[in-house]
Amino acid sequence: MDYDVLVIGSGIGGMESAIKLGDMGHKVLLVEKEASVGGRMILLSKVFPTLDCASCISGPKMSSTINHPNITTKTYSEVTGIKRRPDGRFTASVKEKSTFVDWAACTGCSDCQTACTVAVPDEFNADLAARRAAYIAFPQAVPKKAVLDREGTSPCIGACPAGIKAHGYVSLVRSGKDEEAFQLVLDATPLVGTLGRACYAPCESECTRTKLEGPVPIRLIKRFAADQHYAAHGETPSGPAVEVAAPNGKRVAVVGSGPAGLTAAWQLARQGYQVTIFEKRSQPGGFLRHAIPSYRLPHEVVDADIANLTSIGVEIECDAKIDDLAALKDSGYDAVVVATGTQHATPMNVPNEDAAGSVNGLDFLADVANDNAPDLTGKRVVVVGGGNVAMDAARVSLRLGAADVKVVYRRTRAEMPAHHVEADDAEAEGARFEFLVTPLEVLATDGHVTGVRLQKMRLGEPDASGRRSPEPIQGSETSVACDLVISTIGMSPDATLYENVVTVGRGKRITVDPHTLQTEVPYLFAAGDVATGATDITRAIGAGRRAAHMVDRWVTGRPLTGFTALDDRLDTIGHDTVLSRQTAFGHRNPIKGAVDLQKLPRDFHEIESPLTETEARSGAGSCLDCGVCSECQECVHACPADAIRMDKRDVENEFDVGAVVVSTGYKLFAADNKPEYGWGRYANVITGMQMDRLLAPTRPFNTVLRPGDGKVPERIAYISCTGSRDAQVGNPLCSKVCCMYSIKQNQLIMGALPLADVTMHYMDMRAAGKRYDEFYEQAKDMGAQYIRGRVSRITEKENGDLVLRYEDTEGTGEIVEAEYDLVVLAVGIQPNRDVERLFTDEPLGLDEYFYVAEPSEDLDPGVTDVPGVFVAGTASGAKDIVDTIVHAGAAVAQVAAHLEKAQQTTKAEVLA
Amino acid sequence: MTDTTERSLRDPREVIREEMTMHAVIKAALADGPLTVPELASAIGRPAEEVLYWVMGMRRYGHVVEMPEADDEGYFPYALPKGA
Repeated sequence: MDYDVLVIGSGIGGMESAIKLGDMGHKVLLVEKEASVGGRMILLSKVFPTLDCASCISGPKMSSTINHPNITTKTYSEVTGIKRRPDGRFTASVKEKSTFVDWAACTGCSDCQTACTVAVPDEFNADLAARRAAYIAFPQAVPKKAVLDREGTSPCIGACPAGIKAHGYVSLVRSGKDEEAFQLVLDATPLVGTLGRACYAPCESECTRTKLEGPVPIRLIKRFAADQHYAAHGETPSGPAVEVAAPNGKRVAVVGSGPAGLTAAWQLARQGYQVTIFEKRSQPGGFLRHAIPSYRLPHEVVDADIANLTSIGVEIECDAKIDDLAALKDSGYDAVVVATGTQHATPMNVPNEDAAGSVNGLDFLADVANDNAPDLTGKRVVVVGGGNVAMDAARVSLRLGAADVKVVYRRTRAEMPAHHVEADDAEAEGARFEFLVTPLEVLATDGHVTGVRLQKMRLGEPDASGRRSPEPIQGSETSVACDLVISTIGMSPDATLYENVVTVGRGKRITVDPHTLQTEVPYLFAAGDVATGATDITRAIGAGRRAAHMVDRWVTGRPLTGFTALDDRLDTIGHDTVLSRQTAFGHRNPIKGAVDLQKLPRDFHEIESPLTETEARSGAGSCLDCGVCSECQECVHACPADAIRMDKRDVENEFDVGAVVVSTGYKLFAADNKPEYGWGRYANVITGMQMDRLLAPTRPFNTVLRPGDGKVPERIAYISCTGSRDAQVGNPLCSKVCCMYSIKQNQLIMGALPLADVTMHYMDMRAAGKRYDEFYEQAKDMGAQYIRGRVSRITEKENGDLVLRYEDTEGTGEIVEAEYDLVVLAVGIQPNRDVERLFTDEPLGLDEYFYVAEPSEDLDPGVTDVPGVFVAGTASGAKDIVDTIVHAGAAVAQVAAHLEKAQQTTKAEVLA
Repeated sequence: MTDTTERSLRDPREVIREEMTMHAVIKAALADGPLTVPELASAIGRPAEEVLYWVMGMRRYGHVVEMPEADDEGYFPYALPKGA
């Protein structure tokens, strides 16, 4: 769309420009980076010298701006680039940042921010207090709408193949909302307790805290939430995540009851499907029950998780082996999900593999899980392989009484596919490792295993997996005597179920579209290891979620798209970005789970202890809130207008505009650049803007209190010219407003705190302006003290009081020390250099102080060096509010003249 | 000056981030009655300037309220809201 004018920034200068231009009949596009118009003025207490309420003056202008028929306001938006075209007009790119809230529905009720579990510094209160990640900018915001502060996907969430909102449940446990944390995981999968124990926690590997002293114990926090829930509710689940849609009359069969099948069934059932799981074994759970040993994942935890499914009506038929998928479909199902995993153990293909005492790891672990464990008392066991199944087989063998367990692997430890924790724990429990050997033969006597003959290997060139390939060392063999050989060299799907129905891929996997998980037979979907080969629980859960989504889309005749849980996450925020938000990080001792690792363990008790409540809170408290919003969903549940839209995304548009008004305001001097004054080191040294917030009606504290301890200050000092008229900090300019806003605050303090003594240490008092000097005299009459002389240093006493050291230039000339409760630094104004990024082709000229240059400032105020670009307010130099409004008026006149001239030129060209 | 100190303040973002963890701790400390910020700081063993961040965050969102009058030393006591 075309506009006559683009106004950038909605402070008082921007609003004034937009309103005046709109009143003249020009179509104005106003772009403001914050969620409300108003700029800084709306945040002030009062204005000098009238002491009118800043909100009372700004409020009507803000309302006029938003409601003006000729002004289109885009808040929470940024101009990302402006190009001047040959015809003299401009193309402006504007990014409307996602608020993640439907503003048409939002009523500004604040329920989202009250429910939010993430606290961050409130920039609208000069960082004196906290706001929430879900927030309304300030009470008088126009429009008064909520925003979710989402800088990206937190790395923990981004790393989870299951799409589980780890940051969310961590922030919930941090807030004491353990049941809500459980429900948040339950929303993704019924396997909350399982994941709390058996997940390899890719979230922790990506945790930004790892860059400091160690990761947040994310998995154990999830286990804590699950344990709390099951302890309180038993196996009778309740809560928002177990709400089930009304039956839709559709039926889905799921073949296999591992993590993929259980999760697919859970999600489909919640959407109103009648779901039946068919499991060939006598108990459900797949590898969760039949492969993962109970010392890592107790069966009662699996049972509790599975009860989540059955409680909402999912039927599980055990001892129900499916042989004919087409017949299953025809028996009354609208779709079928195959989730049979990788149940087929890869044989070693060596002599005597079928001897008594030679087993594969999957059968071995399943027998143990089903109370059919062999007695290995005093036996010697060799485990062939280096994966997690090998580690489980070794550790289970020890628990069954084996005297010696040796894991033989054809590469080195560095190449072992087992999770390093599993390998370390196996070794700690007494398993021995022999690397660079591969079996040549199972040695047997009378059909019974007596040992394994091994070929010694060495590492050659890397193979397709990137790992170096093992190569035999010719003539180099060895043997190990043993009573039991457990082969764990690989596993693959059993393709007999589907090989006559669909294409079988590499490794006997069922072939699916990786995005939709649909096979070439439309009703047939597949999820988990059966389609991908052996992976892990989280990937299987992610696939189960995806399959359920796609089945629902297919059954209801919709395109197989829209799986936002994994396919439409915001970009993951980088660790460096997160760490750059703070100047320093306090050390926290990492919370780690206690694992009971005994040499030669002989029972199957759960070896990892749960976190105590204190540990869970502390561990969760170490979260750095990387993405800011944790995606805990509390705002979603709290919003009475159903206005939260986590799937909203930024929108970028281009606009054709005839002129541009730059009204981007100023930056405040960063007070920590004057280290001798101690801001940032002494809690009771604050800036003038912070004091203005303390004095404002919407103040962050209940009254003017010193931040160090909440005391009502009785002795307050001001130091003028902090960061202005100071070549040492690179700003020789006078900021023009500091003297006057200090005097204003002096008067307001004496009104608010009648017992307070206010003293201002100044270099020169600059009160030039109508009624300004009178205002200064009035402050003196009220009792404010004004001492000429620059303060050289501030020190802090144990009680937080502050000692100022200065030269008494109007008295004895001696160095004097004075003690105060609170010190206010009258910080100066500096140019907002963000303006340098606005123009992509033709740079906007700046003056030697980096303010927007006005080449003919005296005769043509508001005119920049780019034809058609104008500047209003403090973007071109320090001004008070009155001067800003006057300057905006000048800029408006220049814009109007420019537009008129352009119009006349166009008419002349048309007539010619 | 012998009574000056150079202890360092933690980054405000870090302190503020801990507010959620501190809710239960502060509420427990206030269970027996109102306390000022220094009293709370002493009760929970944390620096007063950090406690102020947490108390003001809690106050903003209705978890604590201030008493009408400051004490003789100029400190307002804070309490749990009625019914909490």
